[in-house]
Amino acid sequence: MSTVAPRVLLIEDERQIRKFVREALQQEGYQVFEAETAAQGLVEAGSRKPDLVILDLGLPDRDGVEAIGDLRNWSAVPVLILSARSAEPDKVAALDAGADDYLAKPFGVSELLARVRALLRRKSRLSGDGQTLVAFGEVQVDLIRRLVTRNGEPVHLTPIEYRLLRALLAGEGRVLTHRQLLRDVWGPSYVESSHYLRVFVGHLRQKLEADPTRPSYFLTETGVGYRFQS
Amino acid sequence: MGISQGELKSYLVSAIACLATAFLAALIRPWFDTVNIVMLFLLAVFLVSWRLGQGPAVLAAFLSVGLFDFFFVPPRLTFAVADIQYLLTFVVMLAVALITGQLTALLRKQAEAAQQEEARTRALYETAKSLAGAVKLPQVAETVAAFLHNEIDADCMLLLPDDTGQLQAQGSGRVWIEPHLAQAVYDRGQSGEEADGVRYLPLIGATRVRGVLAISPVASGNDMLNQPMLEAVATLSAIAVERLHYVEVAQQAQLQTASERLRSSVLSALSHDLRTPLTILVGIADSLARSHLEARQKEDAEAVRDQAMRLAGLVENLLDMARLHAGDIQLRREWQPLEEVIGSSLKLLGRALGRHPVRIELPADLPLLEFDAVLMERVFCNLLENASKYSPEDSPIDITANRKAGLVEISVRDYGPGIAPERQDRIFEMFVRGVSESNQHGVGLGLAICRAIVDAHCGTIIAENCTPGARFTFTLPVGEPPVIEGDDLLESRQ
Repeated sequence: MSTVAPRVLLIEDERQIRKFVREALQQEGYQVFEAETAAQGLVEAGSRKPDLVILDLGLPDRDGVEAIGDLRNWSAVPVLILSARSAEPDKVAALDAGADDYLAKPFGVSELLARVRALLRRKSRLSGDGQTLVAFGEVQVDLIRRLVTRNGEPVHLTPIEYRLLRALLAGEGRVLTHRQLLRDVWGPSYVESSHYLRVFVGHLRQKLEADPTRPSYFLTETGVGYRFQS
Repeated sequence: MGISQGELKSYLVSAIACLATAFLAALIRPWFDTVNIVMLFLLAVFLVSWRLGQGPAVLAAFLSVGLFDFFFVPPRLTFAVADIQYLLTFVVMLAVALITGQLTALLRKQAEAAQQEEARTRALYETAKSLAGAVKLPQVAETVAAFLHNEIDADCMLLLPDDTGQLQAQGSGRVWIEPHLAQAVYDRGQSGEEADGVRYLPLIGATRVRGVLAISPVASGNDMLNQPMLEAVATLSAIAVERLHYVEVAQQAQLQTASERLRSSVLSALSHDLRTPLTILVGIADSLARSHLEARQKEDAEAVRDQAMRLAGLVENLLDMARLHAGDIQLRREWQPLEEVIGSSLKLLGRALGRHPVRIELPADLPLLEFDAVLMERVFCNLLENASKYSPEDSPIDITANRKAGLVEISVRDYGPGIAPERQDRIFEMFVRGVSESNQHGVGLGLAICRAIVDAHCGTIIAENCTPGARFTFTLPVGEPPVIEGDDLLESRQ
């Protein structure tokens, strides 16, 4: 990790929420910038060059999904969105527009910090050399030799299963929507066939998780997609 | 038969016309033959019959013959006739006069009838126009009544069915109706017999009979036989009533959409307004709990955070229930394995499950099921939360699934005291809890939400007692799961 404090831009219209989020982030040593509106936030994102953007989806001046689309035109900065729990379609739209992760309100501070850390870690990893070896639990994946082992024993994955595994690993720290995964693994004509994805994620869990019904690496984001967490 | 003033005047005019003709004839007599004088009289009779009708024409015919005989047939100034051939002149003159009189009178009558018919048609047209502009049912009744009163001097009453299909009078009609006769006409959709001088006509609309029009003449003996016109009136009324019916249906639909939109926007505003302070509360309390405070203060901050979180859960439940009740939730049904939603529910509950070991037993051949994952997660969360709340710590919770004919049965079972028997039937209603005197939290919304969600998925949910514990079982239809193409096929395709 770099010696410079990571810069976080917080775009949220509620003053009190801004306050406690800012304090929590500052305590962790982050440098925090604030914006009250989406318009102001986009300007700040341009001038401050943050390492991470935290964006409330319910901003008064414009649709958060649109704002993400605008931001994505010129910046690849990770975006964490704050949203209502019972608004899955909004979350999916925001993630499809380019957001990286979401946090449902109300949320605890440790949850927030965990998400922020994961996204920043992901950013620094992407800027460095590509990883060729991924290990989680009892599993090791050699991305160059396309070899998957569990407790040292080779695990046989079908080509689709392997492609899906690679897509999930590449998205570590992010939430991948059904649509994104279907497009990446099966191709654009399959984006509506979410049952394929669910069945094959089930296969991966059977082969790689200790308890497939209670996965600890290939997590379900109900109504949204999947998240890989090592 | 009485003679009216107008008729008397016609006869008088007729007589004067004949006298004037005689005077004129007397003036020109020196230069004309007597036979030509007859022509003058014939013209007079013709004109009288044309202008004044049959009665005056007959009078003119006889008067002309008399005057001609008296003044122009020798010996003059007597009714005696010297030359017998004049008798033929009289007979022909009388016959021609009478026949022309008859013919012109008939023509006139027909012209009058045509005129009347035209006026009636115009009135019908006007009625149709004002019916087309009517915006309320009483207006329709009034318009029809006015037309019938003016045109055929009859009273009428519009009878329309209420919600139960019973006919009810519209507006203030003065027709004494026989309800069962009207009802029979309505039910059969055919006009019935005339009874007590009242005729019942069905209002036949495009899709069904819309009501009955009862017509009775004000004066008895009125011409009620103008059947085509009455049918036209009935049809016009039916169209108007039907149109108003559809206007009402459209308005109600519009109103419903508007109120649904309002409800939905109120719900989302409410959810935003409630969630914001809760987010602040949870955030600040959690920040305090993580700061360098004394253990006791830290404990308090944690309690505030946990209670605020619980409140947030309650608010979500209430809003979910409101949305489900308002029909504001659209099912996003997708085919998926049941296992996944069980896993995500267990993860979501996390610490709330306490130290209960959860045992999951699913048959290996469980097919994909079609359901809304987010809502099904709510069902599992609520059932599991209940199970953990109402059973002793460390006691297990079982999740099982069984395939039955056409459906899958899914159960969540705890090993607690079970459900109080007197509450078992009502446990899925709102605000009812299984244990009466309980120090447990919750207002009993969870199971009501479960039932609403399972209902929306065309399933059923029941609660029963086992020994020991309670078991909640719900069903989901199996349907026809899609075929998942294997890897090889997909590979060759790409």
